[in-house]
Amino acid sequence: MSKRKRPDSNAPSDSLTDHERLIYDVIRSNKQDMGIWTRDMKRELKVNLPDNIVTKSIKSLQNKSLIKEVVNIHNKGKKHLMAVEFEPSKDISGGAWYSEGSLDTEFIKVVKSQCLKQIIKLKVATLEGISDSIKRSGAFKVDLTKQQIEEIVRAVVLDNQIMEVKSNGSGEFTNIPVGKVCYKNVSKGGGGGEPKTGSSASVPCGVCPQINFCTPDGVISPKTCVYYTKWLDF
Amino acid sequence: MLTEYGTKHAVHVITNHFGDLVAKVCECLLRKGPLTRQNVKRYTELSDEQVKNALLVLIQQNCVQAFTTEQPDGPKANTQYVVLFDNILHRVRFAKFLTILSQEFDQQCVELVQGLLEHGRLTLKQMFDRAKSSEKEGNLVDLDSLRETLVKLVTAHYVERCPASEPLLMPISEEEGPARKKGSKSAKKIGEPETIEQQVVEAALPMEAMRFSVVTNVESDVGEKEKNSNNVTPGEKRKHDVLELDECGVADEQSVVYRANFEGFIRRLRHKGCIDHVRAHLDDGAANVLSAMLQATSSAEKKVKTKNSVPLSLSSIYEEVIKSEAGRNMTLDHVRASLVQLGELSFVDASSDSYSIDFEKIIEIAQNEEVESVVSKRYGRDAYRIFRLLSKSGRLLETDKISDTTFVEKKDAPKILYKLWKDGYLLMEKLVVTGARQSQFLLWKVNRQILWKHVLDEMFHAALNLSLRVSYELDREKELLNLPADKRTGPLQDRYNRIRKVRILLESSQMKLDDAILLFHDF
Repeated sequence: MSKRKRPDSNAPSDSLTDHERLIYDVIRSNKQDMGIWTRDMKRELKVNLPDNIVTKSIKSLQNKSLIKEVVNIHNKGKKHLMAVEFEPSKDISGGAWYSEGSLDTEFIKVVKSQCLKQIIKLKVATLEGISDSIKRSGAFKVDLTKQQIEEIVRAVVLDNQIMEVKSNGSGEFTNIPVGKVCYKNVSKGGGGGEPKTGSSASVPCGVCPQINFCTPDGVISPKTCVYYTKWLDF
Repeated sequence: MLTEYGTKHAVHVITNHFGDLVAKVCECLLRKGPLTRQNVKRYTELSDEQVKNALLVLIQQNCVQAFTTEQPDGPKANTQYVVLFDNILHRVRFAKFLTILSQEFDQQCVELVQGLLEHGRLTLKQMFDRAKSSEKEGNLVDLDSLRETLVKLVTAHYVERCPASEPLLMPISEEEGPARKKGSKSAKKIGEPETIEQQVVEAALPMEAMRFSVVTNVESDVGEKEKNSNNVTPGEKRKHDVLELDECGVADEQSVVYRANFEGFIRRLRHKGCIDHVRAHLDDGAANVLSAMLQATSSAEKKVKTKNSVPLSLSSIYEEVIKSEAGRNMTLDHVRASLVQLGELSFVDASSDSYSIDFEKIIEIAQNEEVESVVSKRYGRDAYRIFRLLSKSGRLLETDKISDTTFVEKKDAPKILYKLWKDGYLLMEKLVVTGARQSQFLLWKVNRQILWKHVLDEMFHAALNLSLRVSYELDREKELLNLPADKRTGPLQDRYNRIRKVRILLESSQMKLDDAILLFHDF
């Protein structure tokens, strides 16, 4: 195994082995921000390298900060390798809301809470209004894009904490063009984000996961039901 | 078409009220559709006498309607019997109907309707006899005041004349099909074919003017006066005429049968449901405004499932608002602001300075909330967001798109979607894309029509279960409940206290669940 230095070097490192160079070239030449799955990379090598050599070379390249490993959000078992200078595309990383292959639930919760806070403060808010308000508040170190704010606001609508309305240009919608989509806090019934318990959901059967197996005289029945027994345990 | 638990629930109600025999005949009609008496006998294997008596009970109690059909060539077909499923459901709501009455009328009205609900249908004389039998000291019943009470209730459309006993059902021809459907009060939507039950009910109904009229003895009174004033030289013919009129007058009042008009009560419950929904979403002010609009326009409603109320101007609405004690403190600006709030939620349509309630929208939102509550409690918050996304979008969405929009982990979304699909809450479609590699995508959708039917069936199932559990609990403590109070000591008293609480909880839950059934089935 030789460790000759290469005279022409676009690569930052100048002390790569032949095998490392081979692997690094394949990784770097691939779709830069998509990276390449380890197994696919082995297939694309022009020479058939033994697994232990490949593994050792990858480790070495990582230690030299030339390549990095990125989790594929669609399949966490598939590790993708890419050159360090590239940022993984949203298709692989999942986007701003993902961290190391999982949803960054804390971050999402914080952004949701900020959006809700601004909407309550503004009473009626457009996306631009929410975005500006968050920027001015300085709540986040990085600027969130309008698209990110929109994604979060849509999720808060799905949580039924705010509602989407269209401006009619008058009253509380003065200064907002007619027809523009705005957001308002849901005044009642959303109590802390929890949907109000409906009539059906207030009885055990209404929320029972076994309802499809329950029959009047079956093994699971209203007479034998453990949820009923618990409910009627006075 | 009736769902399985809709049928089971109805049969259970009839069993509880009228026993197994009547319930067997009822179940036969529910499962097989309209039948002749012979066929009922054949399917139930009961005797002719038993079938006849069961049918008589069901007809008396307005749960079955007889009818005949005309054959294109030949004589009328045999009498058939169709079950009135809606009226069976109403049987568990009598307490709600009486509560409505007690808020609007006096005790005599409530008692009269109580009698009609208990006995199914009564003539004025039967109502009088019933009132007399439960007469209290110092509170004597007289026929005139009872007649006045009846007139009040009929005018308010809470009581009606009974329908024809065996109306003739005309076959609907191709040409008159859409025209008939358009005019029909009982078809849910224009274009939706009427069920046989709906057709028979409509055919049996008397003309509107007759349906809500009370036959009195005025003719006979008039007859009497004329007779007396002509006693100098009464002509034989004239006397005969007067006597005839007199007989007719008395006979009519004795033969006309009345019953509670369920439609009137359901319409009132629908209004009440809309007011409660608005109060929960907005505030008392908005609820007062809606209530006033209903008060002003309800007499113009032609059917229970009216889509919109008659438009009203702001001044008309305000005039009505300030009539009530609750609305007296509201200013015109306050009313205007409430109308704007109602408009924002699309509960009220505003156009050209007139306002009209959109019942369908209010009910649609209430139904969505009911189903979303079940999804949230049964499957969790992530499922709740997913369901709301699919419900709002109304179209097929792919798994990844769903997980991205709802911020659900990519590995969790498919599991939740699969569970919702397996339990009948979502539709699923597979999309196979062939290219360099074959890829399979799963697409998901909420189909309201299918889902609403499924949700209603689950509610009927829950209603049946509640009823069975009540019976089970009371049966278990039958001896304890029959024990005199002084014998209930120590642990027996504890058990008694428990069964009391159990009964209150189960029975109040039945009433609450019935509100949901009303929302999905009757409103």
